[in-house]
Amino acid sequence: MNRVAYELVVFGALLASCCTANQGAIGGDLVNSAVNRQIDLTSQLAKFTTTITLENAGKTATTSFVLAIDPTLRDRLSFIGATTKDDDAEKLSVTQTTVPGRTTDVLFRVDLRKALGAGQSTTVTVDESYTHAQTPFPAQITQAEDQLVLFKGNLHFYSPYKTVSETTTVKLASNKIESHTKTKAKVEDSSIVYGPFENVEPFSQEKLQVHYENNTPFLAVTSLLRVIEVSHWGNIAVEETYDVRHSGARLKGSFSRYDYQRQLDGRSSVKSFKTILPAAARDVYYRDEIGNISTSNLNEQDDAVELELRPRFPLFGGWKTHYYIGYNLPSYEYLYNSGDDYALHMRFVDHVYDDQVIDDITVKVILPEGSKNVDLSVPFPVDRHPDELHFTYLDTFGRPVVIAHKSNLVEQHIQEFTLKYSFQKLLLLQEPLLVVFAFYILFFTVIVYVRLDFAISKDEASESRMRMQGLLDQLQASQDKRTSLYQRYEDAIAKFKSTKDLAGFTGSRKKIDAEHKDLTTAIKELQGKLKLESTDMAEKVGELQKLDVNLKEQIVLSITLAEKVVAGKMGKQQYVDNEKVYSAKREDIMGKTETLLSSL
Amino acid sequence: MSSAVRGKLPWPLRMSYDKQDTLLKLFVLSIAAVLSFSTRLFSVLRFESVIHEFDPYFNYRTTRFLTEEGFYSFHNWFDDRAWYPLGRIIGGTIYPGLMVTSATLYHVLHFFNITIDIRNVCVFLAPLFSSLTTLVTYHLTKELKDVSSGLVAAAMIAAVPGYISRSVAGSYDNEGIAIFCMLLTYLLWIKAVKTGSLFWGAMCALAYFYMVSSWGGYVFLINLIPLHVLALMATGRFSHRIYVAYSAVYSLGTLLSMQISFVGFQPVQSSEHMAALGVFGLCQIHSFIDYLRAKLSKEYFEILFRTMALFAGTAITGVGAVLMASGKIAPWTGRFYSLLDPSYAKNNIPIIASVSEHQPTTWSSFYFDLQMLVFMFPVGLYYCFCRLTDANIFIIIYGITSIYFAGVMVRLMLVLAPVMCILSGIGVSGILSTYMKNLDISKVQKKTKKAENYPIKNEVASVVIMMMSLFLITYTFHCTWVTSEAYSSPSIVLSARGGDGSRIIFDDFREAYYWLRHNTPEDAKVMSWWDYGYQITAMANRTILVDNNTWNNTHISRVGQAMASSEEHAYEIMRELDVNYVLVIFGGLTGYSSDDINKFLWMVRIGGSTEKGEHIKEHDYYTPAGEFRVDREGSPTLLNCLMYKMCYYRFGSVYTEGGKPTGYDRVRNAEIGNKDFELDVLEEAYTTEHWLVRIYKVKDLENRGI
Repeated sequence: MNRVAYELVVFGALLASCCTANQGAIGGDLVNSAVNRQIDLTSQLAKFTTTITLENAGKTATTSFVLAIDPTLRDRLSFIGATTKDDDAEKLSVTQTTVPGRTTDVLFRVDLRKALGAGQSTTVTVDESYTHAQTPFPAQITQAEDQLVLFKGNLHFYSPYKTVSETTTVKLASNKIESHTKTKAKVEDSSIVYGPFENVEPFSQEKLQVHYENNTPFLAVTSLLRVIEVSHWGNIAVEETYDVRHSGARLKGSFSRYDYQRQLDGRSSVKSFKTILPAAARDVYYRDEIGNISTSNLNEQDDAVELELRPRFPLFGGWKTHYYIGYNLPSYEYLYNSGDDYALHMRFVDHVYDDQVIDDITVKVILPEGSKNVDLSVPFPVDRHPDELHFTYLDTFGRPVVIAHKSNLVEQHIQEFTLKYSFQKLLLLQEPLLVVFAFYILFFTVIVYVRLDFAISKDEASESRMRMQGLLDQLQASQDKRTSLYQRYEDAIAKFKSTKDLAGFTGSRKKIDAEHKDLTTAIKELQGKLKLESTDMAEKVGELQKLDVNLKEQIVLSITLAEKVVAGKMGKQQYVDNEKVYSAKREDIMGKTETLLSSL
Repeated sequence: MSSAVRGKLPWPLRMSYDKQDTLLKLFVLSIAAVLSFSTRLFSVLRFESVIHEFDPYFNYRTTRFLTEEGFYSFHNWFDDRAWYPLGRIIGGTIYPGLMVTSATLYHVLHFFNITIDIRNVCVFLAPLFSSLTTLVTYHLTKELKDVSSGLVAAAMIAAVPGYISRSVAGSYDNEGIAIFCMLLTYLLWIKAVKTGSLFWGAMCALAYFYMVSSWGGYVFLINLIPLHVLALMATGRFSHRIYVAYSAVYSLGTLLSMQISFVGFQPVQSSEHMAALGVFGLCQIHSFIDYLRAKLSKEYFEILFRTMALFAGTAITGVGAVLMASGKIAPWTGRFYSLLDPSYAKNNIPIIASVSEHQPTTWSSFYFDLQMLVFMFPVGLYYCFCRLTDANIFIIIYGITSIYFAGVMVRLMLVLAPVMCILSGIGVSGILSTYMKNLDISKVQKKTKKAENYPIKNEVASVVIMMMSLFLITYTFHCTWVTSEAYSSPSIVLSARGGDGSRIIFDDFREAYYWLRHNTPEDAKVMSWWDYGYQITAMANRTILVDNNTWNNTHISRVGQAMASSEEHAYEIMRELDVNYVLVIFGGLTGYSSDDINKFLWMVRIGGSTEKGEHIKEHDYYTPAGEFRVDREGSPTLLNCLMYKMCYYRFGSVYTEGGKPTGYDRVRNAEIGNKDFELDVLEEAYTTEHWLVRIYKVKDLENRGI
């Protein structure tokens, strides 16, 4: 009851907004020369398909006509649309209107493609969908019973114009009919044909009532929150939160799992349903407040992803459940841009299950941080709520959220909205830069903390150790260089022996000597510094120096030997023998140096 | 190593030894921390990010409340959803450390706009804290022995099953953070003892405060530290350092711990805390005596000492007696007795004995939970005794007391696991570093040193080291296996292998709870056995009569009586308790063995343990031969009690197994005795897909007859 009142308020608001803009007259010269109504009650919806042959009996041409909604059903109207067969089933524009004198009626004006001249006629097909028009009667049934529903409507086509002839066909979900209005009725299996009625006056009403069995799922989404989060890094995340209720006859008494498992009864209960997601949907999840719902199947097809959802428990009349599903979409299929102007083109509401009824939907679109000039256009009227800000990973000033709300939706509302906004591409770099900067700060702080000494008191021991480490490193480097000099000595000797170029040899020898001297003094200085830290270490360096002196002596001997042999003062064999001794000695000293160094 | 050679080495070895050391330490520690986090994720990967077991659901619910409503409303929270019609003062009856920790984490993350769900914070909190525990273990062991032992201990605690059992992802319980707090307190205590600085003492008191706020096991800690001080006194190691450390820790720690409303005045009233107070007094006396001794001559000191000892002894006994008589000092509580005497609880309080984690530990579970640590523990002790220090005495006492307590109660295995790791770490590292030295790698030296009087030194060293490596490798395999097989099932979602090897998931618990949440009146009262209380309040959001916080024995007993009585009698009790729905767990169809029929004898015992339930006698539920049977031979009292009827309602016509008659119970392996009956006062409200959970609605009183 409360819900109906609410719908009325919403409807009233809509009505008021339309009032001023669309005031018009009925235009009494039109006549419905033939009306054929199909009332489809095979699902939980009441779908009306009315084919009207409209004749202009007046003298002036008209470009529009008026449709009136049956007062018994007007609160339940969810969708209305009109097409004409004249030129390839074109859609006609339908707008709500008011007419002076008929303030209680809900009226729509249909604009025709071509003006309808005097005496001319045209055929228009009107589609209407009504939700919650079939009420369960009795309102409570046991698990074993079938669900009976009652439909109340108007026997005649409720029109502001006179109707010359009309027939109405009511298609039912089953052939089990408890009772029905008997006026000019003919029952054919699971459908009832009323009429034909001749010369029906404008706005005439007569009760039409059918009571029959309908075990199709009476499932209503009582509220749906659809959140679309757009990322310019190529992804659109969609999450939909559902409150679903079985709106059929309430379950009376106990629920027996045993009987339910034998599948003998519970025919009106809902075990599972299929939701069709866009073909590009990835990473689909199906959860609720207490975790993942493990009972679902995903079938990927070429043009859609079919998700078979099984609620945690079967839904009997009056039972409800709550869940959410989410998935990711690639943004290139839905997001278009030219320069910094973007347009998001997505469905306002998507498929939930066949013959769906959605009582309330709120769509939230979360745009990237820094989007401006937002403009939303939806093919049907929606309530736009004030924009909000959303904060998530790496946000600083928030992402704009566009919110729209609508009540009472059916399958025909699966239409696309367009959301235009502008976004500077440079802002894309903001978040990576933020991360880079944060890491920079972090590393910088660590470096400052590690490198600088914040202690109030000095720790002499560790200071000295660190100084010593530094000195030793320098010593190591100098010693490395000094060792390499001996290799150069040897190379020079070898070259001298082959070229016999004394001047060149003396030159290179002097150069190496000078370098050697420099290094030795450098090491001596280091030794002096080390002495301040540790006499032990300094002594070892002293030993190192002694060894080096020895080595130097050896190499000088070797050089004299080489000079002798080049000058011919010594036989070749004798040279080779002597040189062997010297080089063995050099090897020995080198080895000692190495062990000494590694002990430092 | 020659400098020329060093130049050609890969870059890590080119660094100085100090740097290599730091790098290696960091490397080992970060691997241990990452391992301890990731090895706890089995259940998240296998199932989903979901809270496990029973108690974690309560913690999760309170955490959610805290994040949504703020600390003050949390502190003043009177929960009318539990213990209907009594209610429960949540703020004053829980240790809030866990909830505050996750709420803080949540708010910090949300301040930086990291919009992580509170459930995920809760699920991953325990693994996160076990990573931190590995780091603390490293530092603690480093203080006790050396860096290398610390690294081994850290690596060991990362994977020890005894600790993992309580800290897998989703196991959102006090113990998850309490072990971290405990080790942190120990670390700071050791620091305080070593330095004698007031700073470390105060830090230790803060850590102790965190520990008190998060787990009731803090009592172990506040007895262990005084014990350590006492041992130091006895061994003549008492010094100013220990005086400063203990005085700071005790006085600050006690004051801080009294700020937790659940603890209140217990630290100065209950007997469990008296040891700490006594040792505090002893400390003062000891140092006063030391002072006097320094000032007085020996004879005068003797006289003074005797007089004062006599006087003080009388005074303490007198005051103690007065306080005990006036009830200011709490009498010895049951839980305390059950610690000292394992059979105490079983004989006296059935509700304590009915909890499986309160059972004494079996020998096999020691090996199962600790593996090689069991035999490396004495090795560690040996190394500690070899070089006795103030700190080593602490770890020895900790090891020995906790091994006793772990033997008393299975759940205290948790306290034992860290010290096992520390001591084994010391042991393993001791062995390895001894034999590593004997291992000759360079072949040149081998030739020259053959003259030593230790003939096959290298070979022995190789064998020992290989053996240790083998032990360590099997330890890792064992730990991983235990974690994956035994400790990673969420218990809220069950899984079984189907005939074709595929995995079948039984999600019946959540199915039932979710049904309750959405399809019963908001204020419906649900009666179930207390095991499921926390889960129902958290997941179904409905009022329950009893839950896992078993503080009111008579109330639980009343529920037990309802379950064990006949239908008419049970109806009276249920009307009295204003019950709308009754929930039972039934495993007869699936073979789930921890169902309510198997727990039924506890209900009978607890139900019969109070005055109102005197008519319920355990032997009525046995056959004349003394067996508990559900088949035709079973006792008629059992076959007609409410629990039996609720479990087996309409089960009599179900075929469960091929070749067996209808109504064949797959848990008890028997055809049920009472098949065809109707319920008079209840009606089946919902039964889950695999019949695991059955919910009944209590019928209203009948209209007055015409």
